[in-house]
Formats: sequence, structure tokens, C-alpha cells
Amino acid sequence: MEPLIHLAHGFGSVFQPVNLVVLVVGLVLGLIVAVLPGLTLVMGVVLALPFTYGMGIVPALILLTAMYVSGTYGGAFTSILFRIPGEPMDVPLLWDGYAMARAGEPALALGWTLFSALAGGLVAAIAMVLLSGPVADLALRLSTPEYFAVILLGLASVVTLGGSSLPKALISLALGLVIATVGTDSTYGAMRFTFDIPLLEDGIEYILVMVGAYGLGEVLSRVEQRTGGDSVQKTSTISTKLPSLRAITAVKGTFARSSILGFLIGVIPGAGATIASFVSYGIEGQYGRRRQELGQGIAEGIVAPQTAATSSVGGAMVPLLTLGIPGSGATAIIMAAFLLHGIQPGPHVFFKSGDIVYTIFASVFVAVIGMCILGYFAIKLLVKVLDFPEAITSAFVVMFCFMGAMASRSTVGDLWLIVAFGIVGFLFERYRFPIAPMVLGAILGPLAETSFMTTMISFHNDWTVFFTRPISGSIMAVCLAALLYPAYREWRDRRLVRVG
Amino acid sequence: MIGPIGRGVAACAVSISLACGVAPNKAAAQTYPTRPIEMIVTWGPGGGADQTGRMIGKLLEPELKVSIPVENVAGASGVTGLTKLLGGQAEGYQIAIVTADTLALLADPKPQRWSLNDLSPIAVLIVQNSGFFVKGDGPLKTWADVEAKAKTTELKVAVTGLGTPDDMAVEQLKKRGLKLLSVPFAKPAERYVAVIGGHADLLYEQAGDVRSFIENKQLAPVLFLANAPVAQFPKVPTTKSIGMNLVLDQFRTIMAKAGTPPGPYKLLTEKVAQTTRSPEYVKFLQDQWADPKSVLVGDAAVRYIREQIEALKKLK
Repeated sequence: MEPLIHLAHGFGSVFQPVNLVVLVVGLVLGLIVAVLPGLTLVMGVVLALPFTYGMGIVPALILLTAMYVSGTYGGAFTSILFRIPGEPMDVPLLWDGYAMARAGEPALALGWTLFSALAGGLVAAIAMVLLSGPVADLALRLSTPEYFAVILLGLASVVTLGGSSLPKALISLALGLVIATVGTDSTYGAMRFTFDIPLLEDGIEYILVMVGAYGLGEVLSRVEQRTGGDSVQKTSTISTKLPSLRAITAVKGTFARSSILGFLIGVIPGAGATIASFVSYGIEGQYGRRRQELGQGIAEGIVAPQTAATSSVGGAMVPLLTLGIPGSGATAIIMAAFLLHGIQPGPHVFFKSGDIVYTIFASVFVAVIGMCILGYFAIKLLVKVLDFPEAITSAFVVMFCFMGAMASRSTVGDLWLIVAFGIVGFLFERYRFPIAPMVLGAILGPLAETSFMTTMISFHNDWTVFFTRPISGSIMAVCLAALLYPAYREWRDRRLVRVG
Repeated sequence: MIGPIGRGVAACAVSISLACGVAPNKAAAQTYPTRPIEMIVTWGPGGGADQTGRMIGKLLEPELKVSIPVENVAGASGVTGLTKLLGGQAEGYQIAIVTADTLALLADPKPQRWSLNDLSPIAVLIVQNSGFFVKGDGPLKTWADVEAKAKTTELKVAVTGLGTPDDMAVEQLKKRGLKLLSVPFAKPAERYVAVIGGHADLLYEQAGDVRSFIENKQLAPVLFLANAPVAQFPKVPTTKSIGMNLVLDQFRTIMAKAGTPPGPYKLLTEKVAQTTRSPEYVKFLQDQWADPKSVLVGDAAVRYIREQIEALKKLK
């Protein structure tokens, strides 16, 4: 009962006029940074931090928390409308989201993301309030074998991304993993595939692969199809479409799975929204009721990644507040804001500054709802973009892609790299090779390698540790099932055909 | 060069400085600086280097009367950001926070693409004691406990990376017959979870960087790499007190590119010297549990950095 009383006080604090204004500003800023590819959520929160120097601790934390929450949602717009993921977590979202938009339902696709963000955000916020203690203990029980197992589960989603051909998907994934190895090895500092080119020494940023292959690749495909003068569709009559209650009930299993997965993955230090989004999509591809139709523009393909991504925010807040351990880039900045105001997150923060903690909890609730209200009105305006001729929207896509390329390192070389990946994306589309596994490999490859190498060093190259520790062993079993089941299914189908 | 987003960042920083009461238009009469000075932080946001860069940038802005936008360019132990500084023009419009971890690469027998001669150190901004920490409520309580256990059982030490000063310190301790294994965790959060969660036995870190964990009793110091007891922990042994000649200062510097004209370089050193004497910076050093005499400017900074690199070379 006591937490609820504190939470009520927290709501009272959030609804103070100044705090409410700050919250709305944070939501809008979060949406903007998430929409712009290259200007990542973390970068946005970093840019906002100096503004909080002169604020009190409560509005400062409300601003950053609101940005964090809405930052997991804003990228959905560009993913679904232009096929440019604003953040890596938005990549799985575009597989079904963009397909649904191209099939004439952009407003519904955005409506599903809105509802998913709301559901995932609220479930995680409730879990955050009620389960902080036990979940914090769980975070401490995890180490690199478990981190690797979770990332491997994300990589295992490749089997659902390859479309009809698993071998093609695996080749594409291998290419992504090779791209991820370029540069300075993070463990031993060895140079790999750098060919004495200084630009390559720091590796190839995943954003170049992600934005190039999807965004530029799509524009090149449109050029080839010569669709320049037409608009995608006339949307003047389209209004924001929220899914019907019946449709929502039909995907309740996906909501439940994705919320829980997102929250738990958010708790793991270093995992966060991106891995949550990929793993959730992969699990949907394995166990979802309509797994065969995934990738063709169905609701489950939008609900799974978006719910998990937003749900991970609540999860990431738990180790920050209860242990003082920031599990993601954005929570590291929120922690910096705490420290700047002389408050140390950790086991004692609930006793020493409980009012502030519960204000943050309340701000997550209000931010999730506020973000959806903003999103609801934004959708109506944003889908109008599709009224423009494709030549014009394509020009904007190219501009956004180049902005994204320049954002991280500000080098002209990255422009050439993004063009190269645009051509790769185009050729993949042209010859029906799946792009998704390559992007998946480029994003998760470095994370997988680091956690694998650290485990090998820590356990003297004993690879069985992945299977003998209870939590990593359980996750590895799910990974193996995910990888082997399609092969078994294919073998069984062939056998049936032969018998038939 | 600054890209569109970079310009956006600069514009944002200008607006921040305006909000803070800085008036860039006053710079019109000056010859240097007449436009924003980019502060490259060679590590990611939120860490110690980032905090130092933002603090000094914030204090320098009103003095230099231009905005100083911070850009985090992390990667390859800080070399990526350093490469950005070295790739720019030596005009004084780019400065960088360079840490001991990056400069330690110069102690490696493997030649680097850069040397200290490519840089013009402006100042050493902060020097902190580093040491070893154990889990607050774990079985190991003191350095004596650590030594006793490590004689028979291998202990895991969470470090930032292999070949870094952290790892070198572990290698030196192994010469005392201790069974220690460096396990690299690049992200601070993972490093701290490793020890607090009981997955590693020891953590190598600067005390100031884990202050909140120490105050929350999640971590406890057991040994400092220092010649004299650390003020905040007078009872914790030092490497000198256990008979070792192993002192590794963790320091962060502010640098310009070599060849920066004398005028801008002189102005930067003067202003850094002035701002680091301000009460706000002195409090920052206190909060970081840093040496109150951390700041060294100009030639003194160059001498200190060279000495530290030479000391590291002897450990190799």
C-alpha cells in the first residue's frame, strides 16, 4: 500500500504546471531526436543535459525521462513511412510496418505502434513500481554468459527474417557479422580488415549499414521502377486509425510476451531497447499464431518490437534506481543528472530521496500516456507526407540518410560508405536476398563478440559455461530450439511430400 | 569538418550558452576566438572524461566569450576522438579531452600513428588515485584477505581493457605470486555489476568514479596505487605500504593540435589556469575525490605527461 501512496504523491508532483510543461517539452524533443536518423536517443538526451543544469532535480529528471520514453517511439514514423529506421530498435518495426503502409494502411500501422507503445510502456511502468526489488537482484545475477545468450537469441531471429530461404538469410547474416568485425578489435586492439585506411580503423558504424541498405536502397529501387511522379497514395481522407478492440484482443498474446520480454531485457545492463525489439520479433516469428505471415505487414510484426522497445525503458530504470547502475546510454545520462544535483541512485535512494524516485515512476506513466496523445495527433499530419510525389519524398529520404551518415563521425568517407550500402541494399532487393539479417548482424555482431570474448577470458575458454549456468543455459536452449525447429519443420515437410 | 548535425549541435550549444547568459556577439572585437570552439571528448557520454570536459567547457565559455559545444567521439581507447583532433586545422578551434588510457598507448612497444609531438597539451585537468575495490558485503574485506586467497585461488579482476594501465597494474601484482586474471569490461556498468554481482572478485577503478557505490557500501577499497595514504581512506593500504613501487595516476588532460598559433594557445592556457582556480572547479575536484593539486598548465603538464608515459614504459 505504501508504494501506492508514494506514487500518488509522485503524480501530484508531475502534475505541477512547471513539471507538466517540462514533460511535454521532453516528449516533443524525444520524438524529434528519434525521428532523425543518426541523431540517436542517447545523443539527444546528452544534448538536453546542459539545459538541466539550472533546473531543480525534479523537472530535470522529468525532462530526461520523458525524452527517453518518447525516444523509443518516435523512430516508428520514419520506419513506417520512409523505411528509414530512426534508431536501431526501429529496424524490426519496419519489416511489417512499412509493408502495411505500402499496402495502403499507413495510419493503421502507426496506430498499432501507438497502441503498442502505450501498452508496453504502462505494463513496464507497473512492473517497475511493484517489482523493483526482486528484479534488481536478477540484474546482479546476470553476467557475460547471460548477456551473450540474450544477444544470440536476438541473432537467432534470423530464421524468421530470411523469408523463404534460410541459406540466403544465413549468408546475409554472415555478411553483417563480417562488416561488424571491421576495425579495431575491442578486446585485444588488433586491426581487422582495415587495409591501412584510417576511416576503417574505428570500424563501420551500424547506422551506415542500417540507413544505407534500407533508406537509400529503397530509393534506388524506386528509381529503377520509375515511380517518380506518383505519390505513394492519396491520404487526404485518411485519419488516425487506432486498431479495433477485436483486433487488439486477437494479439493479446503478443502484447503479453513482448511486454514481459522487453521489461526483462531492459533490466540487463548493456542490452536495452534494440535487443528487446529484435528478440521480441524473433520470438513472435517462432511462437506467434500467425508466424507464417510475419514480414508481410501484419499487426503482430509491429506490436512485438514496439511493445518490447517501450517496455524496456521501465526495465532499464530498475537497476539505475535500485543499484545505481545505468544499464543503457540514456540511463547513464539520467544518472549524471542525479549526481549533478547531489543525489546518488542506489540501494538507499528509496529511503533518502523516495519522493524523487516515485516522481520518476509517475513521470514514466504520464510520459507514456502523453506520448501517445502527441502521437495520435502527429499521425494525422505525418501521413500527409505520403501525398507528395515519390520523387520529392525520395529526395527527403536521401537527405535524411546523408544527415545520418554525417551525424556520428562527421567524415566524408562515411557518405561514400552509406552510398555503398545503399547499392548493396538495392542489389539485395533486386535479387531477392533478405537485407534484414545483414543489418541484424551489423548491429548485434559487436555486442555478441564482446560478451563472448569476455566470457572466454573469464572462464578460460570453457564454452560449456553458456550451457551449465541456469539462466544462460535456459536462454541457449530457447536459441537452439529457435534455430533447429525450422530445419526440423523443413525436413518434416519434405518427408511428407515424398511420402505423399 | 562539421556536418549538418554537427552544425545543429553547435547551434544548440550556442543557444545553451545564450540561456546561460553568455553573449557571443561580444566576441566580435576579438581576434581569437571569433567562433565556437569544439570540445572533443574522446570517451562516451556520462563517464569521467565527459564530466570533466563538460565542466571545463561550461567554465571556459564566459571567459572566452564563445560557445564550446561538446562532442563525444568515443572508440579505440580514445584514439578515434584524438584522430579527429589531429585531422583538423591547428587554429585553436578544436580542443580535446585526452585521458591517461589513451596516452598509455604511447608506452606500448607497438608504434602508434601519432605521438605526443603531434599534440600541444594545454593542461592536466584532474589526477585521481586509482586502486582495487571489492564487493561491499563480500567475503574479501581487506588487501590481506585478497593476498591470502589469491595465493591459492585465481581471482578475477574487472578492468577496462587488456593492455590498459588497469591491466598493467594487475600484471605487476601477479609478480607477487598472486593468481589474478584481468577480465575486460569496456562499459562501466558491466564492470561494476561484475563485482557487485559477485562475477568478478576485484575492480580496478578511480575512487572518485565509484564514489556513489562506496558511499552506498556496495564497493569497498582494499588497495590504492599510491605512495601515501589516500585522504578519504587513511586506513586502506597503498602499494608503497605493501612494499611495491607501483603508482599509476589516472589523469585527464585538455589538448590542442600541435602547431596551434602561440596567441590562441597562450590564451587557452591562461583561461584554463584561471577557470580551474574557480570555486566551482575546486568543488568539482573535491566531489571527484581528486588530488586538489591536480591542475598543471603548459610546460608543467607536458613534463608530467612525459613522466607518466616513461613510468608506464618501465612496467611493460
